[in-house]
Amino acid sequence: MSTDRLSATFAALADPTRRAILAQLALGDASVSKLAEPFEMSLPAISKHLKVLERAGLITRGREAQWRPCRLDTKALQGVDDWLEDYRRLWEERFDRLEIYLQELQAEDRKRGRKK
Amino acid sequence: MVVTRVLVAPRELVWAAWTDPKHITHWWGPVGFSTTTSAYDLRAGGIWRFVMHGPDGRDYQNRITFDEIVRPERIVYHHDGADDVEPVQFRTTVTFEDLGGKTRLTMRALFPSAAARDRVIKVYGADEGMVQTLSRLADYLAEPLATSLAQRTD
Repeated sequence: MSTDRLSATFAALADPTRRAILAQLALGDASVSKLAEPFEMSLPAISKHLKVLERAGLITRGREAQWRPCRLDTKALQGVDDWLEDYRRLWEERFDRLEIYLQELQAEDRKRGRKK
Repeated sequence: MVVTRVLVAPRELVWAAWTDPKHITHWWGPVGFSTTTSAYDLRAGGIWRFVMHGPDGRDYQNRITFDEIVRPERIVYHHDGADDVEPVQFRTTVTFEDLGGKTRLTMRALFPSAAARDRVIKVYGADEGMVQTLSRLADYLAEPLATSLAQRTD
């Protein structure tokens, strides 16, 4: 997944309402009005959140004119999950290198100390 | 996300390894990458601009903005700019804990974005402790949610 794509996904996820909507959709497809139930929000406000999620590839909308059920698209979230794993590994490796470098620095210092 | 390590080095030295560009290039990586720093302004609002030279010959422009510097205990920063190896939306806090000759180094990447956290403060008048709790919760939510969703595709 490109970092642009990933940034869009993270931006979409960086909102508690949208995460709650995704959690609801993990239990099954739902209509806009069903998704709006737990929130004190207008339908247009919920629709706006759904548009953000749709653009980020996190959900898809059915084409049935009246109902237009929302469905979770798991690919984008899988991408986030993979990225988090890569990011953790990057930092573990970064700390590995730092550990070795600090040992080298201190070994040099000791050598220099003996020469004085 | 939290990554932590106890390093066998005094805190002053670990701090120096983080805050002197001539040291940073030795370990920032990733593997096979070298780093050239063109600006390094270590203060709140200051900018660290650097290029990561990839093993394939490609250069990656990076720009980090420091949000908070508490010498020699804590560095808070976030990435900005488009051509990043590490995408935006995370605020990273690095803490240096003195263990008497050793140092515990901890990196915390907070999700959701700083902007979202600021909005929480504004909208709900939440205090910093509350915001941190919310951020931790959000951090915790992201992964189990992704895992449960992955299972749903099977």
